[in-house]
Amino acid sequence: MFKKMTAGVMALTLGASLLAGCSSDGADDGKVTLELFSNKSESIETYKGLIKEFEAENPDIKIKLDAPPEAETVLKTRLTKNDLPDIMSIAGNATYGELGRAGVLEDFSGTDLAKTVQPSYIDMINRLVGPESEGTFGLPYATNANAVIYNKAKFEEHGLEVPATWDEFIASLEKVKAAGDTPIYFTLKDAWTGMIAWNSLGANVAGEDFSEKKNAGETSFMEKYDEVADKMATLVQYGHKGNMGVAYGDGNNAFAGGKSVFYLQGNWAIPEILKANPDMELGVFPMPVTNDPAENKLVSGVDVLLAVSESTEHKEEAMKFAEFMMNKETAQKYIDEQKAFSAIEGVYQEDPVFEGIKANFENGTITSFPDHYYPAGMGAENLVQEFLIKKDKEKFLKKMDSEWEKVQNR
Amino acid sequence: MKKKNSVFLIITIPAFLLFFIFHSFPALQGIFYSFTDWKGYGDWNFVGLKNYLNVFKDERAGDAYLFTFKFAIVATILVNIISLLVAIGLNSKIKFHKTLRAIYFLPYILSILIVGFIFNFIFAHFLPQIGDAFGWEFLTRNILGNPDLAWIGIVIVAVWQAVSFNTILYLAGLVTISEDLYEAASIDGAGVWTKFWKITFPLIAPFFTINMVLSLKNFLMVFDQIVALTGGGPGKSTESISLLIYRGGFEGGEFAYQSANAVIYFIVIIVFSVIQLKFLNKREVEN
Repeated sequence: MFKKMTAGVMALTLGASLLAGCSSDGADDGKVTLELFSNKSESIETYKGLIKEFEAENPDIKIKLDAPPEAETVLKTRLTKNDLPDIMSIAGNATYGELGRAGVLEDFSGTDLAKTVQPSYIDMINRLVGPESEGTFGLPYATNANAVIYNKAKFEEHGLEVPATWDEFIASLEKVKAAGDTPIYFTLKDAWTGMIAWNSLGANVAGEDFSEKKNAGETSFMEKYDEVADKMATLVQYGHKGNMGVAYGDGNNAFAGGKSVFYLQGNWAIPEILKANPDMELGVFPMPVTNDPAENKLVSGVDVLLAVSESTEHKEEAMKFAEFMMNKETAQKYIDEQKAFSAIEGVYQEDPVFEGIKANFENGTITSFPDHYYPAGMGAENLVQEFLIKKDKEKFLKKMDSEWEKVQNR
Repeated sequence: MKKKNSVFLIITIPAFLLFFIFHSFPALQGIFYSFTDWKGYGDWNFVGLKNYLNVFKDERAGDAYLFTFKFAIVATILVNIISLLVAIGLNSKIKFHKTLRAIYFLPYILSILIVGFIFNFIFAHFLPQIGDAFGWEFLTRNILGNPDLAWIGIVIVAVWQAVSFNTILYLAGLVTISEDLYEAASIDGAGVWTKFWKITFPLIAPFFTINMVLSLKNFLMVFDQIVALTGGGPGKSTESISLLIYRGGFEGGEFAYQSANAVIYFIVIIVFSVIQLKFLNKREVEN
């Protein structure tokens, strides 16, 4: 009997010890370890440098950077498990809105840190959370811009000028095509890269309040996006042979290698292009969507915001890191390395590459990304990608409407 | 007898506990949540069968089912044909057959994701370059970027990787057949083809059954290959059900809805496996 008991106890302890194997690691040698979660592969090196600096200033804090692929899905999975990272560096989009509504993020409203941010960007992220939860659950940090990037050498070779209207833009694409060169290098194997043109077009054609109206049932893609779909289909004609087969990383290398004149991307692609070809001369301009130059706005959004988990055990240390990131020197370093723009007052991007969009930032002809306000489960980028292959406009716009409503009604 | 029982209990209880905690319990939780409107966090209410009704109305789920079954059936047939051929080859008396067996098993050891990324490179750069060099128009574009052909790329990668495991199972089956049978058949004047259909194939029937069932089940749950190769694109042309459940459940905040989808899929896989077993067991030889 006794033997049996011990054997049973042995078996149980064995099971328990196996279970204990997956407990989290705590602080080592008196240091506090914080996890910094980032959704950008582009900024890994920059963050590594900043973390080194921070750790030198704060020897008792260690920061572990985690930048997985499919980051948003990973983050949602961890939310489900109640295992949020201490600090998050994520985009100001629908996912942030959801995290904000779920009440798992620290509220920064009224803090000194939030006051250093340009108010328009605070409004932008508050709109994402919606009226249900009052508060600012993140600090807008870096902002981005959708732009047409062009290869200056080729641009001059073809005798082009920066277009101010849609017709002029198409004329320059036509000119390049007629000369036997590739006008635009598309990278549509990665569905999200199709959303860049889509957002520029949608923001300027369908207006900024489209999503609110769509949720209220007052408008639809059928009604507002007809022209957008046509213009998308037009643009794809000026691509290359393998529009659908090239991914983003390969596209950056190809454009850096002079494979095309234009490249529809955002400022975030510029460091990647320069990595592949450091001597390249680049220029940017906002895509001229309409034929009235005064109507054409630049699409810019919150590319990176810093959020702190509400339930973290090391709030004080996490706040220290947020303060470090928000100070002007760090912010300047970040935007210089990442070729981004800062959401913090008084920190400016002075790189000559951005000559073509500087004016938009100065006089405020800026509008936000339409797709940041789409319901997250809709998978709009794959629908757009499908449309660019099949070109069945009616069916596609209907599907955009029905998918939106379907996700809303679940 | 008593002593034996207690030994069994000591061995099975921890295993059962571990299995229950990490497998059965989450599965039961999933079934429970499929009747609610839980988003993956926050509050929830019971909604009855609403999620299940929505799955049947969901076009995207329908497309995912079609793609997954098309993929799984083609891949299962290919894998079993190829691995049976390879196994027969490796079972014959050739030089280095032990080394060759090890080499053929290598793809199975590699991580699917890594293999996917390598093939991604092959499809994106290597094959188009060959196409350009030889002027073969169909090869000059990345097939993963074509919605009608992308699934073939995934089949190629999945089959390449899965053949090794099934080959091992078939080899185990071939070893059980005694040489005497073949010798007797040779004396009776049977050719290679006759030997295969009359002796080899009937005698490895149990292995054929298990291979068919396992590979169909694995291919119905295809996930990693797609993430590494196409991410469900172009459009939604290669979105498998597992991918849809994962994406919609975590990215789209449809945790409960996709749980319902998963429960339905679980039932579908069970039904298919049972039908397969019943059908294939009938043709196994009674030893």
